[in-house]
Amino acid sequence: MLIFDKVSRVYPDGTQAVKDVSIHLKKGEFCVLLGPSGAGKSTLMNMVNGLVEPTTGKIILDGEELNKKNLQTIQRSVSMIHQQLYLIPRLSVLHNVLTGVLPQAGFWRSMIKSFPVKDQMRAFKLLNEVGLEEKHLTRRASELSGGQQQRVAIARAFMTKPKVVLADEPVASLDPAMSRSVLNSLKTAAQTHGATVLCTLHQMDYALEFADRIIALRAGQVFFDGSPSEMGKEVQIRLYEIERKSLEKQGPIIESDAVSPPLQVSKVKPKDAVS
Amino acid sequence: MKTANDVYQEKGWREWQTYHAVTPKTVLFLFFAFVLLAWSGHNTEMDKAAVETSKAVLSAVGIGDSDVLNGVTKFGSQAFPLKFESRTELTRLEDVDLQDLPLFSYIEEGVSSEYDVDTDTWTEEKTEYLVEPIGYLKKVLWMMWETIEMGFWGTVISIMISLPLGILAARNYSPHPIVYHISRGWLSFHRAMPELIVALFLVLIYGFGPIAGVLALAIHTSGVLGKFFADEIENAPKGPQKALSSAGANSLKVLRYTVFPHVLPAWIAYVQYIFERNIRTATVLGIVGAGGIGMELKGRWDLFDYDHVATILLIIFIAVLVLEFFSQKLRNKTL
Ligand SMILES: Nc1ncnc2c1ncn2[C@@H]1O[C@H](COP(=O)(O)OP(=O)(O)OP(=O)(O)O)[C@@H](O)[C@H]1O
Ligand SMILES: [Mg+2]
Repeated sequence: MLIFDKVSRVYPDGTQAVKDVSIHLKKGEFCVLLGPSGAGKSTLMNMVNGLVEPTTGKIILDGEELNKKNLQTIQRSVSMIHQQLYLIPRLSVLHNVLTGVLPQAGFWRSMIKSFPVKDQMRAFKLLNEVGLEEKHLTRRASELSGGQQQRVAIARAFMTKPKVVLADEPVASLDPAMSRSVLNSLKTAAQTHGATVLCTLHQMDYALEFADRIIALRAGQVFFDGSPSEMGKEVQIRLYEIERKSLEKQGPIIESDAVSPPLQVSKVKPKDAVS
Repeated sequence: MKTANDVYQEKGWREWQTYHAVTPKTVLFLFFAFVLLAWSGHNTEMDKAAVETSKAVLSAVGIGDSDVLNGVTKFGSQAFPLKFESRTELTRLEDVDLQDLPLFSYIEEGVSSEYDVDTDTWTEEKTEYLVEPIGYLKKVLWMMWETIEMGFWGTVISIMISLPLGILAARNYSPHPIVYHISRGWLSFHRAMPELIVALFLVLIYGFGPIAGVLALAIHTSGVLGKFFADEIENAPKGPQKALSSAGANSLKVLRYTVFPHVLPAWIAYVQYIFERNIRTATVLGIVGAGGIGMELKGRWDLFDYDHVATILLIIFIAVLVLEFFSQKLRNKTL
């Protein structure tokens, strides 16, 4: 139902971030994007809600090709959980979640922060599903822990009954226990609401545990596409290898610092230093 | 051939350039700065001010004579005691019930003298006055309250002008670059018009009274507030805005939900400052007839009623202090 049809993206500075990628996602699929830093995961994901435009190729959602005219309509059926969350710090948790229905909300009502009871009830239900309590409702988003903020962002993403949920490294800053629990919330929410999820991760074990389907990217191209069970040991080792190499490429900057010789003060004799 | 860079690199650290805090350049710069300051200081009679003030200080401890000190004592002797009471000729008052005078007031007999221009003579007449001990103080307090109200409405109208203009003057929310430039220009225009001068013109248009004062305050400060609003909107964090707009929310909703909550504390502090400032400015706008306590001040000043002037100054002083006190309390609460 979500189709990437031979999409490529070249940034104005000439970086080819995504190259000739074709993916066909089925409804309700929980698909994890793996790949080293800079592989083009975020770029690919941002194409679905128009934050990045494909240089060539098409994005098709439910048979409708994404273009300038229907961008806003399509944006309303696609939710995104950004890596930096982008919650509104000084707004209450409840209103942060309610901003999920902001695109559809009546204009004047929304200007005075008034939302229908129906929407509020949905927000309660979602917040409850991701494990937040009534006492959190009136807290400011900035007063929550990282994991709690992550959950608020998930609840917000499901407010619109989205067809597609994009999650860009939703567990990047969390400890393993919290990561599992957040991914669980995400997966449960997606199943309950019948949404297709495209989620980037850096940890292979989480991918193997939660994904229905894993797509590995390397230098903007699809390198592996299949279910976790199809993903043999060799592929996993190859992926680790790639991940390690990409780290080594960035390495020298750090290494040269460490290797640079210490100040050789001892060679200067005291009486020289005085004169 | 050696390049400059090679020479630079061959130098031992012993030959590196040392740092000098004072160089001939600094001395030259200071010299020119001094000449410029001396010239400008002379233009604004700063030299005379220094001389006269020192003379006054010397005279105060008994050395020599000073015009400045004489001026101060002259004003002081006429200003004190402060005038709190009001005296009105009974004949000028209609329907005064002599059996039931206002609280604390009494009738005093006195002499009123009248000048006849034709015969160049003074005629003296016995008259009765109604004296209210704090009548004038009450009048001044009421006028001070009116002045505060002027500051309040000046601020309200200023917000009403600067809020829409400020949004149109924010680069990322302006509907079109032309609108952006017009709004920015308009705000600068408002900022560039000093209250007193605007008030002068508005008095011509609306006549004497607070309308001219309120509008003058609103026009000038809306330029200040609007620019501040626009800059704050432009500098608000982009992430949350991107999140909502990429979900399909229109820009006014994005503004309402991400930018407003972020800039609100700064806005409140700024509006508060403008309000305080407007009250202070409103006290002098009356001098050009634009309403408020300044009108009374100017009137009394022209009649050499320095005791009345002193009362007015005292009330202004106290009012400003009290307002700043409360304003500070409010600020501590909201931020
Ligand atoms: N706005 C941009 N302008 C120019 N180049 C960009 C831009 N955004 C991303 N790139 C480049 O495109 C490539 C892919 O970036 P992308 O953000 O998609 O990687 P990623 O897979 O999400 O990496 P990470 O795991 O670190 O988030 C990188 O080389 C990056 O430098
Ligand atoms: Mg990324």
